[in-house]
Amino acid sequence: MSVDTGYVNYFEILGLPEDCKPGEVRKNYKKLMKDLVLEIHRTQITEDRRDKYLLTMAQLNAAFYILRDNDRRERYVAARKRVMELEAEWSQTAESGESSQADALRRAFDSELRQFLSSYMEELMLEAGRDAECVEASNWDPYHERHASRVLRHYRQRLYHEIHERLPYYDVTKPLVDWEERSRTAAHLIAEGTR
Amino acid sequence: MARKKTFQKPPVSQEMIDACLAYAVSEGDIVNFRFLFLPYSPLRDDSTEDIESQKYSYLWPEDEADPHFERALAAVQQPAVRAHVKAQLEKKGPAQLPAELLLPLADNAVRLGKYTTAAQTYELLRIRRRMQEEFLAEADRALEDNDIPRAVRGYIIATGLDYDYAAFPEPLPAVPNYQSRALMLHAEYPKQPQDCVALQSTESHVRTALGYLLLDAEAAARLEVRPLEQKLSFLETLIRTCDPEWERFAAHYRDACGLVDQLSKRIQREANRAEGVNDTLASEIEAQNETLDPGTIPERLLGRAIPGGEWWQYLKELAYEHPASALFVSRQVISKDEEIIMPRLLHENPLPARLGLI
Repeated sequence: MSVDTGYVNYFEILGLPEDCKPGEVRKNYKKLMKDLVLEIHRTQITEDRRDKYLLTMAQLNAAFYILRDNDRRERYVAARKRVMELEAEWSQTAESGESSQADALRRAFDSELRQFLSSYMEELMLEAGRDAECVEASNWDPYHERHASRVLRHYRQRLYHEIHERLPYYDVTKPLVDWEERSRTAAHLIAEGTR
Repeated sequence: MARKKTFQKPPVSQEMIDACLAYAVSEGDIVNFRFLFLPYSPLRDDSTEDIESQKYSYLWPEDEADPHFERALAAVQQPAVRAHVKAQLEKKGPAQLPAELLLPLADNAVRLGKYTTAAQTYELLRIRRRMQEEFLAEADRALEDNDIPRAVRGYIIATGLDYDYAAFPEPLPAVPNYQSRALMLHAEYPKQPQDCVALQSTESHVRTALGYLLLDAEAAARLEVRPLEQKLSFLETLIRTCDPEWERFAAHYRDACGLVDQLSKRIQREANRAEGVNDTLASEIEAQNETLDPGTIPERLLGRAIPGGEWWQYLKELAYEHPASALFVSRQVISKDEEIIMPRLLHENPLPARLGLI
């Protein structure tokens, strides 16, 4: 079973099981969005908080937009399952040492992962912001979209790297890092520069 | 018909491979290091590129007695590393770079101040964030000992290893962009004194300055808990370290302040005249001799004129050359359609005096 960190689960975002009904999706979305909007109004907005709220709002919109429609929901569930399976398959093959097969699997996984992240962690999130029901609940407007494009690109690429960090090494050999030695090196490099 | 003779390059010896790799490692050069493993690398026997040709002279060590090169050479000559390198140079397809060499390469990049290279290499090894933490922890220890230069160096390295995950199309090491950040700092015209960065209270000004100069909100937030005096010393050292030409800017700044003082006096004289207070003969003569143009203040700050330059063009150039300069200026409207940047500081704030601005 593959670890699913990084493949954002929209059911979890709305606090629902995978067999939930569209009515439950709408109800939970409305409640969570209302709570979020109230929290935003109560909070002093800094640049960091603005990005965080924008991301949460975009995630809620996307969760609602994807899960309320049966076709979109099925495509999302299938794509998520596929990319997780590919990860597990590649990791197992890479650990067993079959390098040529592992490389082909890695490429397949990487392509699927990029496709999944750009569709579900960026494009559909922006598309959801233009949906009439989402606009009504979240007051999402072109200003939000302009800022969200940067935030979502950051989010997608951060997820991509987070997923990659737990996968087998392929472009470099696995480093054997002695963190005590690293700590001494850091101290030495700092001291050397001030001499 | 005679067949064209194919070029046969001399075989690449193990010593050549060792020397070129060790040089890239000792110079903290990830670009050259990667190049040496590419399919058309001159180190590959099946490549037609000749490592001994003039065009590849940059891959050869300049000083083989350099201790950093000698250490790198020792790392390259380890039997396990040699075997791995050999296998990768014979392999078809993308090579797997040896981590045993990438780690010293990244450390050498830090030593030489090549932070983007270091960030890329640590990222390849998946230890970049942890290394940032190590540098920050060491810098914090230096702050505990009140060793400001060491702390500043630690923070500069740690923030230099930042990565920009929002870069397009792929994440890249974050690079200083003070010319854009300065514009953001002055994006809104200050309607009240407290809106102006330079006129903020000392505590607030120091907070803004650290956030702006360190380019990393999290790193700046770590310094929040430190005493004000320590933050001021840190900031002073940081500004002078980031900008070796700071004294040149300070001289320009003092010059511009002189011009601002003269203008203030002239405005005061005009006000006195309007109220019917008579000038002394000396001040009348002085007024007739002076040719003051407030539009020249930005030129004095920058030390040169930008033909037709707007306030923001001066600000961008100033911030590019002297990042901290944006913290001691503000926007000022001087006529219906003319706006300039001019020196501004709060006299209660000890920082400008420490930096030689007054």
